[in-house]
Amino acid sequence: MLSSQELVWLLAAVAKADRTAFERLYAATRAKLYGIVLRILRRHDLADEVMQETYLKVWNSAGQFDPALSSPITWMVAIARNRAIDMVRKKTEVSIEEESDVLETAAAESPDPLAKREITEELRRLLACMGRLDEERRRLVLFAYYGGWSREQLATKFATPVNTIKTWLRRALIEIRECLGS
Amino acid sequence: MTDDTEAETETPEVLAAEYVLGTLASNERERARTMIENDPAFAQLVRAWELRLGQLHAMVAPIEPPPETWARIQARLDGTDPSTAMLLPHPDHAARVVAEGNVVQLRRRVDRWRQATAALAAIAAALIAFVATSVVGPDMLPGGLRPKPVEIVRTVEKPVEKIVEKVVERTVNPGRFVAVLQQDAASPAFILTIDVATRTASVRRVAAAPQAGKSYQLWLVSDQFPKPRSLGLVGTNEFSQPALASYDPAVIRGATYAVSLEPEGGAPDPDNGPSGQVVFSAKLVEAVPSSP
Repeated sequence: MLSSQELVWLLAAVAKADRTAFERLYAATRAKLYGIVLRILRRHDLADEVMQETYLKVWNSAGQFDPALSSPITWMVAIARNRAIDMVRKKTEVSIEEESDVLETAAAESPDPLAKREITEELRRLLACMGRLDEERRRLVLFAYYGGWSREQLATKFATPVNTIKTWLRRALIEIRECLGS
Repeated sequence: MTDDTEAETETPEVLAAEYVLGTLASNERERARTMIENDPAFAQLVRAWELRLGQLHAMVAPIEPPPETWARIQARLDGTDPSTAMLLPHPDHAARVVAEGNVVQLRRRVDRWRQATAALAAIAAALIAFVATSVVGPDMLPGGLRPKPVEIVRTVEKPVEKIVEKVVERTVNPGRFVAVLQQDAASPAFILTIDVATRTASVRRVAAAPQAGKSYQLWLVSDQFPKPRSLGLVGTNEFSQPALASYDPAVIRGATYAVSLEPEGGAPDPDNGPSGQVVFSAKLVEAVPSSP
C-alpha cells in the first residue's frame, strides 16, 4: 500500500475528478476495505455492494477529506464501515451466518498481509490501552469493531443483558479515551 | 442540539463513540447522523473517536475483492448504471486539499501526536500485552487479526522501517499470538510472536537501540517452574528466536513473558533468573477469542 502522503495526494487528485488517480487509490486500498466490510457482512454480494457505495462516496466526497483532521485510510475505512454496519443492521432478516466460511476461504487466498507491515505509534498506544481493559470488555470492543455487532447481538453472544452490555461498552470506551489521554 | 430521549443514559460522547464503534441500532445511527450534520460539536466528537479507534483496522487482513467490483464502480461513474447519477466533487472542496497545505497540516498533526505521546509516558506502568490470534471462525473476527501495516501515518513514525518486514511468513494460523511489549511510549518495544501449536516464537526489536555493554534477555515465567526460564537474548539482532520448543503449549499460553536488561551476553546465572532490571513483562491475553 502507498504511504499516507501518497494517499493524500491521490485523494486531492480524485477531488479534481482524476480517474487515473481514483484507480490508483482503489488499487491501493481495495483489499483493506474489502477485508473490513466482508468481515462485517460475511457475504461477497453484500460486500461488493458496500464497496461500490464506498468508492462512489469517496469519489464524490474526496474534496471534503481534510488531512488535518484525519488520515486517508482512516477516513475511507470509516466510510466503508459505516456503510457495512448500516447494511448489516437492515439485513437482520437475512442470515449473515450463511457464508460463515467465506472469510476462511478468502483469507487463505489473499496474499500474505504480513509481508510488509508497520506498527505505528498510534497503534501501539491504542493496543496498550486495549491491553489495560478488563478482558471481557476488550473482547466486547473488538467484536463490536471487527464484526460490526450491535448491542443486542453482543448481548446474545455474551449471554448478558443488553443494559449490562451498554454499561460495559460505555465504561470501556471511556477508559480507552482516558488512557489515550485525548 | 439536544435530544430529550437520550437523557436517560447517553451522553453525546458515548453516542459518538458507539456510533464509531458500530454498536448502535439503525434508528440510533440515523439520529447520530442527523447530529453529525447539524451539530459541529458532535461531529467533532465523532471525528475524535474515528481517530482513536481508527487504528484498529490495521489488524484486519486485507482480502482482494472480485474484479467485477471495480468494473461496477466504473460503470456507475460512467453513468451506465442509470440508478446513480455522477456527481463531480465541488471545486471549493477540491481547493482545500492542496498538496502544500497538507504537509503543514500533517506536521501539525505529528506534533499533536508527539505531545500526546509524551503525556502517555506518565502511565509508565502500562504494559502493552495485546495478543491477537489469527484464528478464523464463524464468530471470529479477523482471519488475520494481527499487527498489520498502518500506512496512514508514516510521518509520525520512528525509524521502524526495518522492523517487521518478514516477521511471519505463514498467514492464517490458529494459535498465533502477537504481543507488543512496551513499558511506556519512550522505552524500547519488542514484538513477540508466539505460535503455540508449533512452539516457535520470534522477537523483533522495535525502535530501540541496544544499550552499549547490555543485552536484553527474554524470560518465561510460569507457576510451573520455581524460577523464570531464560528464552535467550533478544534485541542483539533485530530478530531472534527464543527457545520455546521444550515447553508445553499450555505453559506457553499461560506464561508471563518478561524482558530484563542484563550485562552483555545475558544474566551470569540464568538458572537463577534475571540479574538485572526487568524492563517489562506481559501475559498473553487472548484478545480475540474464537467465540465469546
